[in-house]
Amino acid sequence: MSNTSSEVAKGPHHSGGAAPSALSARNITKRFPGVLANDNVDFDVRPGEVHTLLGENGAGKSTLAAMLCGLYQPDSGTIARNGAPVVLSSPRAGLSHGIAMVHQHFRLVERFTVAENVVLGSRDLSYTLKRAELNDRVAEVAERYGLPVDPSATVGDLSVGQRQRVEIVKALYQGAEILLLDEPTAVLVPAEVEKLFENVHAMTATGKSIVFISHKLGEVVEISDRVTVLRNGRVTGHVSGRGSADTRELARLMVGRDIDLAVQRASHATGHEVLQIRDLSLTVNGIDVLSNISFNVHEGEMVGIAGVAGNGQKELADTIAGLVSPTSGSVSIGGSMSTDRGPIAARELGLAYVPEDRLGMGLVPSMSILDNLLLTRDRDTVVDRASVRPEANRLIDQFEIKANGPEHLARKLSGGNAQKVLLARELSGGRTATKLLVVCSPTRGLDVGAIETVRRLLDDARSAGQAILLISEDLDEIMSLADRILVLYRGAIVHETAGESAQLTTVGAAMAGLSQEVQK
Amino acid sequence: MNSNIWVLMSADSVALATTLILAALGALFTERSGVLNLGIEGILLTSAITSFIAADSSGSIWLGLVVGSLLGAVLAGIHAVLAVTLRANQIVSGLALVIFGTGLANFLGKPYEGKNIETKILPLSFGPLTDIPVVGPVLFGQDPITYLTVALAVGASWYLFRTRPGLELRATGDDPATVDAQGLKVSSIRIRYTLAGGAMVGLGGSWLMLAESAAWHQAATTNGIGWIALALVVFASWRPIRLIAGAILFGFTLQLPFTLQAENITFIPQAFLQMVPYAVTLISLIALSRPGSSNALGAPRALGTPFVRDER
Amino acid sequence: MNLPFRLAFEQRTETPRRLAVMVPLLSVLAAIVAGGIFLFATGYSPFETYSNMLSDGFFSSTGITDTLGLSTVLICTGIAAAFAFQMNLYNIGGEGQLYLGMIGGAWAGLFFGDRLPGFVMIPVVLLVGAACGALWIALPAFVRARLGTSEIVTTLLLTYIGASLVNHFIYRAGSYFRAPNTLFPQGRQVPDSAMLSPLGDTTMYPTFFMVTVLAVFLWWVVRRTEFGYRIQVISDSPRAARYAGISAQRTTVQVMMISGALSGLGGATLIVGTFGRLDPGIVVLGYGYAGIVIAALARNNMAAIIVSGILFAGLRTGGDKLQISTDTPIHIGVMLQGAILLFALGGEAFRRYRVRVVRAQTATAQGAAQ
Repeated sequence: MSNTSSEVAKGPHHSGGAAPSALSARNITKRFPGVLANDNVDFDVRPGEVHTLLGENGAGKSTLAAMLCGLYQPDSGTIARNGAPVVLSSPRAGLSHGIAMVHQHFRLVERFTVAENVVLGSRDLSYTLKRAELNDRVAEVAERYGLPVDPSATVGDLSVGQRQRVEIVKALYQGAEILLLDEPTAVLVPAEVEKLFENVHAMTATGKSIVFISHKLGEVVEISDRVTVLRNGRVTGHVSGRGSADTRELARLMVGRDIDLAVQRASHATGHEVLQIRDLSLTVNGIDVLSNISFNVHEGEMVGIAGVAGNGQKELADTIAGLVSPTSGSVSIGGSMSTDRGPIAARELGLAYVPEDRLGMGLVPSMSILDNLLLTRDRDTVVDRASVRPEANRLIDQFEIKANGPEHLARKLSGGNAQKVLLARELSGGRTATKLLVVCSPTRGLDVGAIETVRRLLDDARSAGQAILLISEDLDEIMSLADRILVLYRGAIVHETAGESAQLTTVGAAMAGLSQEVQK
Repeated sequence: MNSNIWVLMSADSVALATTLILAALGALFTERSGVLNLGIEGILLTSAITSFIAADSSGSIWLGLVVGSLLGAVLAGIHAVLAVTLRANQIVSGLALVIFGTGLANFLGKPYEGKNIETKILPLSFGPLTDIPVVGPVLFGQDPITYLTVALAVGASWYLFRTRPGLELRATGDDPATVDAQGLKVSSIRIRYTLAGGAMVGLGGSWLMLAESAAWHQAATTNGIGWIALALVVFASWRPIRLIAGAILFGFTLQLPFTLQAENITFIPQAFLQMVPYAVTLISLIALSRPGSSNALGAPRALGTPFVRDER
Repeated sequence: MNLPFRLAFEQRTETPRRLAVMVPLLSVLAAIVAGGIFLFATGYSPFETYSNMLSDGFFSSTGITDTLGLSTVLICTGIAAAFAFQMNLYNIGGEGQLYLGMIGGAWAGLFFGDRLPGFVMIPVVLLVGAACGALWIALPAFVRARLGTSEIVTTLLLTYIGASLVNHFIYRAGSYFRAPNTLFPQGRQVPDSAMLSPLGDTTMYPTFFMVTVLAVFLWWVVRRTEFGYRIQVISDSPRAARYAGISAQRTTVQVMMISGALSGLGGATLIVGTFGRLDPGIVVLGYGYAGIVIAALARNNMAAIIVSGILFAGLRTGGDKLQISTDTPIHIGVMLQGAILLFALGGEAFRRYRVRVVRAQTATAQGAAQ
C-alpha cells in the first residue's frame, strides 16, 4: 500500500527542525474522572507537513486532538500558534486560529445540503441566505483543492467518502490552515484512501498542515512526514522522515511489546453445512438491501464477510439471527429452516449472535452481568437469579472478565470486557449448544490486548467445531482469520476467495465495487 | 338554518386560531431547537390570568399583553434551566410546569373568578371591506393581534429557512453535536428559543383573555388548547405555514359546540360536541402516524434529548 | 453571553446512597421555602399557612386519617403513572382513566347492587372500574405500539373527552347515573352492598391497605419476575429487546393497559369509599395528575410511592382545609406539588452528574499555570 502517491509534490518545510511550528503543544496534561488521558505531552506541526499521532484506542490521541482544536481544554500546559501562546476555549476559538478538526464520526447535519453544512457556523455568513451564491462559493473552494462535491446534494444521500470530503471542504471554507484528521481512513475503501491521500498532498503543497490521527501502521508510514507515538497518555517515541519509519518499531512503541495479531489459520477439515443461505433478498422501503445471497458455512469453518459499512452487512446478520424477515429466500441453521421464525427459534436451532453494537443491542447497559446472561436464555415467570450465579462466576473466571462479580453493571465494563461478556454468553450456549456463531466487527474499538483475546476465542470456537460467520469492515482482520472470504457490495456477494490465497488488492477492489464483471 | 351564524363562526374560528397559532408557534420554535416543552397549557393559563390582572389593574390592554408574554418567557425559563442547563427529563419537567402553572394561575385568579375585563382588544374595521358578505368578517374583521399572528407565522417560515440564525436553529434541533463542533453554543441557542417560544405562548394566553373569552374561568379558560397546539405542531410537520391551515381547522372544531348551541341544534348532546376538538386532534395524530415515521414527518432528530458534550 | 464561569457536568458512575435519599427530601424543602416566599409576596403569612397545613394534614387525628384516606386514590394513580413511566411510556392521561374507573365502578354498583352480596359486590365494582380504566387507554396503547403515536398527547386528549363524558352522565336529564329529583344535578348513590364502611369514625377505608399491598406487589413484579425483566430490557435498550426476541409491542400494550387499569381502580376506590356515586366534582380534583408528580418524586419506585403518595395527600388535605381555616386559596397545594416536582427534577441533575463551577480560562490564568 506504500509509494502510491509519492510523485505528488510535498511541502518544502519538512527537512530540518529549523522551520517554526504552525502549532505546538507543550507539557499538555488532561485528566478525566479515573483516567489520565494525556500526561505531559509535547506535540507540534510545521507548515506544509503531515504529522501523525499514532496510538491504539484509548492512548489519548483523540483527547490531544480535541484540545488542539479547542473542544477540550488542557488541565495544564500551553498551546502556541506560530510561536504565540493561544487559549483555545472552544472549537470556534480554534477555528479563528485556523485550526479545524475532521471528526471520525462526521459532524454533518444529514437533512441539510452540502452547502448548508459547509457554511453552518461560519462567521462571515450574511443574515439572509442566498442559496445560489452560497452554492457557488462552496463549489469554488471545493474545486481549488480537487475535492469535487455537489453543493446542493443532501448530505443524508451521500456515501461515507463523499461526506468526508464535505467535512474537509467545510474546514477549508472556514479558513483552516491546520487540519486534524481523526482516523480518516477507518471508514474508507482502499481506493478512497488513495484519493484522500492525494487530497492531503494537495493541501500540504499549499502550505496547510495536517495532523493525521491513526492506529493503522501501514498508512501511517506512507503518509507521514513525522510520527509521534502515544501510549497510555504519554509520548513513547518520535520518528521523522517520510517512509523512514519501520512498522515493527512503531508497533512496539504503540503497544509496548512485540505483538503478532496474525492467527494461524488451522487447515482443519470442515464438517457438515451448519448455515445454509439460499437466494436471500431483502427490500426495505423499495431499496434492495440484500439481493440473491447464497452461501454455506460448515462446521469448524470461519467465513468472513468483507465490505465497506452500509453495504448490507448489518441486515445480513440480522436476517440470519431472525430479527428481520427476508423479502425472499431462506435461511436454515443445522438443517432446519429458520426463516420468518424469529430470534428465539433461530437460537433454539443453535444460533449465537454477537452484534456490532455491543452495549445497547448485545448487552443491556444498565443491567448486571448476571442479568445480561439471562437475556438470551429461557426465563421462568419468576426469575431465578440464584441458580445462574454460579455459572456467571465461572464464565467471569473462564473468559478473564475484569469485573467485581456477577452484579457488575454492563455499562461500567471496558469495551474489551463487555465484548468478553457477550462472547461468554453467546459461546456458552443458552437454549441449546451453540452451532453457529455470527459475529460483527468483534474487535472494533478494542485495545490490542483485547483484540488478541477475542481473536483467540474465535479461533478456539472454530477449532471446537462451531461454524462462524465473521462480518467485519476491518479487512486485515478478515484476511488473517477467515477460511473463506466473501465480499458484500450493495447487498450482493461480488467476490469469493479462499482465505490463504486472498489478495488484498483484489478483495479491496471488490469492496469498492470495481470488479463485478471479473467475478462470478 | 341561519347562514349568517356560520359566517360568524368562521370568523370566530379564525379568531380562536390566533391563540392556537401563537401557542403552536411557540412550541414549534422550542422544538426546532431540540427542546420539548409540554408545559404549554400551564404557560397559557398563567399568562392568561397575569395579563388579565395587569390589564385590569392598569387599565391598559397593551400592558396586559406585555406582562402575559413576559410571564410566558419566565415560566419557559424554568423549563429551560431544568431541561437544558440541568439536563432533566424534559417530559416530566414540562408536566411539572403544567401542574405548577395551573396551581399558580388558579391561586392568582381566585379574586377574579368570573370577572370581565372592562375594555378588550377590538377588531379592526376596514370599512366597506369588512362589510363584504362572508369574506369580509373572516378576512377583514379581526383584531390587530390576529393579523400580527399570521404575519408572525409567515415571518417564522422565512426566518427558519432563509436566514443564518434559522439555519443554526434547525441544525441545533437536528444535530447538536455538529453545532457544538462548529463552536456555536447549543445551550445558549436552546435556552434562547425556549424563552422566545414561551413568550409567544404567553402572548397567545394573554390574547385569549383580552380579546376572546375576556373572563376568568380557572382551567376551563384554556380548556386544553395548549395540548391541541402541541398536536398541531406534529400535524404541521414543524413548518410554520402549515400551522395556519391546521389552526383554522382546529379553531373551527373548538368553535363548533358554541355555534351549534346558538343555533339550537340539540339532537347532538352538548357533551359530545365538546369532545369534537379533542377527538379530531386525536384522530389526526393517529392518522399521521406510521411505524417509524417521526423522521419522515420532519420531527427534529434531537427533540427531547439533552445534549452532553463529554460523552466518554 | 460570556460569563466568568460555567457549569461543568461530569457523569457519575456511582450515585452515593445518601444522595438518593437527600435529593427528594431537599427538593420538597426547597419547594416549601420557595412557596413560602411566594405566599409572603402575595400577602399571606407563610408560617401560619404552613403550620395550618401541617397540623391539618398530618399532626391531628382527623388530619392523618383524612390524609391516609386521600392517599388511597393518590397511591393508585401514582403506581399507575410509575408503571408506565418506568418503560418510558408517558401515560399522562391517568386523570381520564380515573374518571372512567369511577364511571365503570358506579355503573357496576348501580347495576348489580341489589342482586349481589357485599363480599362479591366490592370486588366487582373495583374490577369493572379497573377494566374501564384499561379500556380508556386501549386506543393510545394500541396506536403507540403499532404506529408509534406519542402516547403523551393521545392519553391527555382522552382525559378531556372523559371529562365531557362525566358531565354528560351527570347533567343529561334522565341519565342512569343521575340522582332523580334533586335540585342540583348529582350522581345517584350506589347501594350499601357496593360500599365499604370507613375505619371507625374516619374517612379512611380498607382500600388503603389494598393499594399499599398492591404497590409492594408491583415492586416485586418489577424486580423479580420475567415480566419485570422484560420491562427493564425494553426501557433501557429497545434494540437489545429486539435482539433477544422480546416483543416491545406486546409489552407496551400490556404495560399501558395495566397502567390504565390501576388509574381506573383508583376511580373505583372512590365509589366503594369516599363518594359512593359518580361525582362531577372529580374533574377538578386532579387526582390523576397528582399521580404523575407522586411517581416522578418516587423515581417510579413502586414501594416509594406509598411514601410520596401519603406526603402529597397530606399537602392536599392540609391545603384544602386552608380555605376554611384561613382565606388562603386551596390552589397553593397544587402549586406546591408542581414546585416540588420542578425542584426534584433540578435535584436529579446533582444525583446523575457531579456539577462543578469552572472558572472560564483566560490567557493569564493559563500562563500562570505554566
